[in-house]
Formats: sequence, C-alpha cells, structure tokens
Amino acid sequence: MKAAYIMQKEIRESILTPKGFLWYILTSIILSILSYLFLTNSELSLLDQGQMLYMIMNFITALGILIGLVFGSDAFAGEIERGTLEALFLSPVKKTQIAAGKLGAAIANWVIIFAISLPYLFVVGKGGQNLLIGIAYLAILGTLLAIIFSAFSMGLSARIKSMKNSLIISFFIFLLAGSPIFLSAALRKTWFGRVLDLINPFADAINTFDSVVIDSQGFSYQAGRVAIICGYTLLSLWFLKRSVSRLEM
Amino acid sequence: MKRLILALSSVILAITVNYAYAANRIAVSINPPFVQANMGDKITYTGTITNNSDKAANNIIAYISLANITQGKESPMDLEDWSANKAIKIDAIPPHGTYEGKWPMRLIDSGSYVVYITVVDKNSNIPVSSEMSHLDIKRILRLNPNNVLPVAIGEPLLIGIVFMFIAIKRGNRVN
Repeated sequence: MKAAYIMQKEIRESILTPKGFLWYILTSIILSILSYLFLTNSELSLLDQGQMLYMIMNFITALGILIGLVFGSDAFAGEIERGTLEALFLSPVKKTQIAAGKLGAAIANWVIIFAISLPYLFVVGKGGQNLLIGIAYLAILGTLLAIIFSAFSMGLSARIKSMKNSLIISFFIFLLAGSPIFLSAALRKTWFGRVLDLINPFADAINTFDSVVIDSQGFSYQAGRVAIICGYTLLSLWFLKRSVSRLEM
Repeated sequence: MKRLILALSSVILAITVNYAYAANRIAVSINPPFVQANMGDKITYTGTITNNSDKAANNIIAYISLANITQGKESPMDLEDWSANKAIKIDAIPPHGTYEGKWPMRLIDSGSYVVYITVVDKNSNIPVSSEMSHLDIKRILRLNPNNVLPVAIGEPLLIGIVFMFIAIKRGNRVN
C-alpha cells in the first residue's frame, strides 16, 4: 500500500509532467519516422512485414530499456542530489517499499511506451505473420527487461549516490547489452558471439522476437531464453533490494 | 609440319581428356530449374554434388552465383543481401556418393536472373558448374502511405495535445 503511494507520487512527479511527456512525444515522433520509412521507402519496403515488425519491436525494447535506465539512475542519486531523500527516509515507509514504488513507476513508464507503440506495431505488422503473438512476447519480455535494467540502474544509483556516474555506467551497460545490434551476423555465429548472445538478456529478447515473428517457432524454442531473462529479473530485484537496504544518508 | 600437327593434337587431346575427367569426376545439379516469384519472397536452392569417381573427393567448395540477365542490366550480382550461405565447404564426399547443399535466398530485386552452383575441387584445375536455373522476380512494392500516415502524424499530435492540456492545467494550478 505504501509502495503504491510512492509509485503514484513518482508517476505524478516524473511521468505526468510536461517534462515527462516530452519523452513520449519524442518516442512517438521517432516511431512515426521509423514506420513511415519502413512503409514508404521503396528499398526498405522490400522487407517483409515480419522483418519490419521484428525491427520495430527491437527498437521499442531498446527505447524502453534506455528510458528505464535514465529513470533508475535518477531514483536515489537524484533524490540525494536534490536533498529530498532524507525527507523520504523520515516518512514511515521502509526502504524496500520506496524502491518497490520507484520500480513500479519505472514499469508504468514502460507500459506507457508500449501503449504508444501499439498503433505503430499494428500498422507495420498488418497483414503479416505472427503480429499478435509478437506483440504478446514484446509485452512480456519488454516488461521483464524494463524491470531488469531499471532495477539494476536503481541499485547502482543507491550504491554510487551520484546520478552522473550511475547514468554513465548504465549507458555503458546499455551499449554492452545492445552489442548484438552492432556485431555482424558472422561475429555472432562464433562461440564467443553465441555465449555473449546467450548471457545477454537484451540479445535473448531480440533472438526470441526473431524466432517468434520471423521463424514462427513455438514456445519450446523460446523457453531457454525466457528462463534466462526471468533469472536476470530475479537477480536484478535482489541487487536492488540489497543496494537499497545498505543505503544510508 | 606433321610433327607440329601431331604435337598440337596431343596437347588438345590431353586438355580435353583432363577436362572430361574433371567434369565427370564431380557433377553438380541445381534444383529447382526454374522459379517465378515475387520480390521479398524467400526461396531455397538445392545443389546436389555427386562424386562419380572411385576415390573420395576431399575439400570441396561449393558456392552459388547469380547473374542478372535483364535487358540493359546484365551483370553478376553481389549476394550480400540475397543469401547468407554463399559458400559451403565439404570435407569429403565418398566414392560414388552425393552431398546436398541448401542455399536459402531472399529475393531482393526484380528482373530476370540465372542462378548456378559452382564446385571447386582443390585437386583439379577445372571448376564444375551446374546448369543454369532461371529466376524471374516480379516487382512488388509494399508501399502503404495511406495506412501509416494517420498514425504517423496523428499519434504525436494527440500526445502533444495531452501534453499541452497537462501544461495548461499545471499552469492554472500554480496561478
């Protein structure tokens, strides 16, 4: 209940503000440009609907992670820098409840991004294969990734107590997680590339999207990767809990 | 003169025999022999490589080639976007055995093409190619601006309106 109150407060202060809304306008503009290019550019239009859907799903996931990292970096370090954490700690709310509330707000942020992306997903994937199942996978895996990266970033923010530093480290982690996008298909087929792909939750998610949307493969093919993502979710929640319980003013 | 003719004949005979031997030792065929498809479609070519000799054929390399034969656009094609499996290395084909290689291909551009598979045997100087499979690709563009424009323009506008509404509401509250 107290966590829900903190979550509401965070949503009011960070999401339902003109500044917060700018993120969503930008998200929407980027998705508009991307989907317009996909569907009107004669060279990109050679891609089949499944391929387009897969690419836009990757982009939405990356965007959700990125905003989650920024949100998480601000969670504790930002409060410390603004001098508002002390007041929060003086209230009769446990540290873990504060963390749960802030994480809830970060997930709400992802839910809004997902909702914004839905019309684009339908327009891009319309008439193609595996649209609904692809969206279902994006909803589930996107939420888990939002939890993983937001919780990790929050934990880091509680430990480092510096928003700038936790943001820089978070961005490095984001670049590392996004490495499959930068690596060529040949490099990813080497043993090192395969191991990196397997232990990287973002790569697991995009490989699952590929398998579901383009290759039309069933859940049995995805189970291993989904299990790894679930494992990371638990690990990140444990990291957040541990980091917050050690947080002192 | 007779000697010269004899010598030339011997050389030609030797080359012909060598070529015939190499061609007969390894044979390659491509399937399907003719394809009609649309741009963006995915098709798979199967190459069957047969070792007709009594010895195992080792270290064979097989690769697929594509040539554009559309009037005015005649050129060999770079398969970068078309196929991920351009070359297959085969360690050994047993005597009188066969190997079946698959080449999945995404059809990127329209036109008339010929596709063929070439086999290179390290022990022979002569590459062996399959017959040409004819490929006709129909131009299909999935251009869909009417469908995307309402969303592409409408959604940022809608979010912008909500944004302004919140900003005005907050401004009134402060005043």
